[in-house]
Amino acid sequence: MNLKRMAKTFAVGAVMTVLSAFAQTSHSSEPRIKMPYKKTGLDSRQAAAHLLSRFSFGATPGQVDEVVSMGLDKWLKQQLNADLPDDEVNKRLEGYNTLDLDNSTIVNTYLNPGQLIRVLIMQHLIDKDSLQSAGRKEYQDKLHTLMVQAGYKPMQDLQRELINQKIIRAAYGQNQLKEVLTDFWFNHFNVSLTKNQCEQYIQTYERDAIRPNVLGNFETMLVATAKHPAMLEYLDNASSVSNNNELVRKQENNIQQLRSKLQLRKMNNNDTTGEAGMRLMEQVMNAQKRQGLNENYAREIMELHTLGVDGGYTQKDVTEVARALTGWTPAPLYNNGIAKKITDIAGEERMKKQGFVHEGDFLFRANRHDQGEKTILGRRFPANGGYQEGMEILHMLATHPSTAKFIAAKLANRFVCDTPATALVNRMADAFLQTNGNIKAVLITMVNSPEFWDQKALREKVKSPFELAISAIRATNADIQQPFQIYAWCMKMGQRFYFYQAPTGFPDKAGYWINTGSLLNRMNFGLAFATEKIPGVKLNLAALNKKNNNFTLAYAAGNNAMISQVTGILIGSPEFQRK
Amino acid sequence: MINRRGFMKSGALALFAAGFGGVPGFVARAADNRKIWAPYKKNKVLVCIFQRGAMDGLMAVSPYADPNLKLLRPSLFMSPAKTEGSMTDLDGRFALHPSLNSLHPFFTEGRMAIVHGVGSPNNTRSHFDAQDYMESGTPFNKGMASGWLNRAVGLTGHDAATPFRAVSLTSALPRSFYGDNEALAISNLQDFAIQMRGTPVATHAVAQSFEQLYDQTSSEILNKAGKESFDAMKMLNVNNIRNYQPAQGVMYPASPLGNALKQIAILIKMDVGMEVAFAESGGWDTHYNQGTAIGALANNLRDFSNSIAAFWQDLAAYQDEVTLMTMTEFGRTAYQNGTGGTDHGRASCLFVLGNDVAGGKVYNNIKSLAKADLEDGRDLPVSTDFRSVFSAVANGHLKINDDKTLFPEWGGKELNLMKA
Repeated sequence: MNLKRMAKTFAVGAVMTVLSAFAQTSHSSEPRIKMPYKKTGLDSRQAAAHLLSRFSFGATPGQVDEVVSMGLDKWLKQQLNADLPDDEVNKRLEGYNTLDLDNSTIVNTYLNPGQLIRVLIMQHLIDKDSLQSAGRKEYQDKLHTLMVQAGYKPMQDLQRELINQKIIRAAYGQNQLKEVLTDFWFNHFNVSLTKNQCEQYIQTYERDAIRPNVLGNFETMLVATAKHPAMLEYLDNASSVSNNNELVRKQENNIQQLRSKLQLRKMNNNDTTGEAGMRLMEQVMNAQKRQGLNENYAREIMELHTLGVDGGYTQKDVTEVARALTGWTPAPLYNNGIAKKITDIAGEERMKKQGFVHEGDFLFRANRHDQGEKTILGRRFPANGGYQEGMEILHMLATHPSTAKFIAAKLANRFVCDTPATALVNRMADAFLQTNGNIKAVLITMVNSPEFWDQKALREKVKSPFELAISAIRATNADIQQPFQIYAWCMKMGQRFYFYQAPTGFPDKAGYWINTGSLLNRMNFGLAFATEKIPGVKLNLAALNKKNNNFTLAYAAGNNAMISQVTGILIGSPEFQRK
Repeated sequence: MINRRGFMKSGALALFAAGFGGVPGFVARAADNRKIWAPYKKNKVLVCIFQRGAMDGLMAVSPYADPNLKLLRPSLFMSPAKTEGSMTDLDGRFALHPSLNSLHPFFTEGRMAIVHGVGSPNNTRSHFDAQDYMESGTPFNKGMASGWLNRAVGLTGHDAATPFRAVSLTSALPRSFYGDNEALAISNLQDFAIQMRGTPVATHAVAQSFEQLYDQTSSEILNKAGKESFDAMKMLNVNNIRNYQPAQGVMYPASPLGNALKQIAILIKMDVGMEVAFAESGGWDTHYNQGTAIGALANNLRDFSNSIAAFWQDLAAYQDEVTLMTMTEFGRTAYQNGTGGTDHGRASCLFVLGNDVAGGKVYNNIKSLAKADLEDGRDLPVSTDFRSVFSAVANGHLKINDDKTLFPEWGGKELNLMKA
């Protein structure tokens, strides 16, 4: 790309940035909170309970009254600002040592089994024969010892901390709405630990791409997920390649010339220097040639993340978006990998000159990008759009009216009921469009609507297993010393979070969670939890029921078992499954 | 265990009530509505076993007569020769791994068919994507919400008067069972009850409290699921399950698959109206140290074979009602890799066992293992779409006939492997 063209693109880009900033400041301020719960016949206590049940993971003892006395508006404002200090969470996360790591450290410390084997073989710490003769357990133990000796750590540690921190934050976090929305948006932009290539990145994905943006701007979050290695690997964009590329053609010509030169040299003086390097280059070229366009991410970004399946895109649009996103890849971080060696050799300067864009853990590979002209949703993108083209497309998707509707419907589904009224969704969609995707504005519009407070919407939704478990912890002020045990029960009840295979994420419908088997597990969860049969769960039910004379008497009579059983029944009861 | 003759003698509802400690709600409701539902009517049952991890079809049922195979697998090649693993020759072209010998009689008796070169047209080599596609039955559409077995159950057209119509012996509902029709996941029948630290009397009181609460709740979905849970619990008298004795001479392997199949046999013999059953088997992802006649794969195959054989023998008089089909998400490379194993490939093989199966044959459209005939120069290509087998078995055995609903977006032909 020559200087003149670059200047033009930059200028256009700069103007667009200025314009959009202007647009944001004039429209992005949030509406005032004005909750019409009296109109639907609710008193402030009922309204507070409803607010807590939807915008938190469940009220703690006495919290409904706290919210009433504080004022519902004030509580909601506080939750929307999400900056209350989180001492309890921080205390419980002491000793966790993977939560603040960057992707580079993680990728080079926590290897998956395949990588580990290769590294150990490379370092001659194991040989292929010793693998053949070992039995399975012996084999695993040997691998583990070698791994630790070589300075690596097991992937399970990473996973365990990820899972545990989610439980701790949801149960003890003060900024409950932020936690609820992290759960919601992660599910919307789902990635899964079931996919080997992306599992190492999920820690930072939730921490850096999702959590900071959950109460912010939708487009910012979309772009953050689109550039994060976790998403690029999960939906295969990392390996999507186009051969309609000038750089690739030049490279092939260069290799052809080099090949001839080397052949001549060999023929004339029997000199074979340069052949090994040549072979490496050919290998890379051939590998790239075998790969092709992968449409997975292009389809899902439109179907699941923005426009929605009925959002008005065609199969052709999917292919065109896939073409546009070729080159969007994770920056190579693995020190022992060829990819990193190659980019290190190329160097930042040369890559930039060729149109590569290196931003944190994201790398736009100009030599994989399809440079041709494209038409997407009726709009023409001229040839050689490069990295900016992708950004423009993300902007187009993030601010599209179909996206506004789709996101509004999903939020209404999560916070109001399984079949939200069209009028409500439209109102929320308008707020989305007018504020260019300000999530707070959409939520406030929702809470300002009578539909949110409709008596029919009260307690209409069914909790997911995770929500059930966390609400049980909060309702009983339980001390959870082994969060992983709670995860095990969520699995039993049918929700292995972080492991949902498909990009659709867990469905938000009662019918998905409630079936004959899962209901029994919920009842048994209630009993196991309340009777402290789950390891690490510490309850003080007496303290909870100090004011309740019947309970006090029962305790005096030594009937702890009965109190626990009743609590268990309450947690497993149909009413506690609802929120 | 209540037997059919005894039932006939004393009259349906009374014996039901006596045996199960109270008439399950759905029976009373069915009787009220005069639905034609005979509690002890024998149903056709389709049992599916999903081998997760990609089973090496080329070693389980080896095309040993192909001269290319030995070159591709220098140390993993097997054949009927004693020095090469003593495989059991099936038809001069294919041979059965010796660990699968307990299934061989079914093959020679014509009850079991093998389909080779079977797989998905979608060439993803990701376990999870491939499993997802195979279980949803739409290899190119991740957006299909239901699973093919849930759709199959819906097509049988029987009144959903039992909570046990589709049962999976797994802890989570498998993808194949997702959908609008009732499906149940129970990992252990013996645990399918309210479990509580305390006396049986206290536990029973708690169960009754739950039952009442669910009966009274205003939420329709919780009310309905609650009723079905308690009906199912009452039907599954756990004592009968704990004291279950398999048929004479039958020994199930003490493995997860053996246990799962045993429980499926129990449910079949309890005549609870089950039509589809599902079990899983793991450990098939043999990248390293696969072994031949002895080793990791051989151990897995032996457990697989003995569990199925025990299950079939245990069924005894119920054999006519049951067809069992296995499946795996893809196969493994034709060549062996550098660590004594094989990597992800494309086509594998599957087994179909039942009295209405045209067995004794290895159905296949396999050309050869010459490099030119391999996909990407490395894998046995898929020459039989898995849907042509699944639809043939489901349609033939369950007597359903709507491939458009069962496998939308397919439009292919069924493989002719069921007896007319």
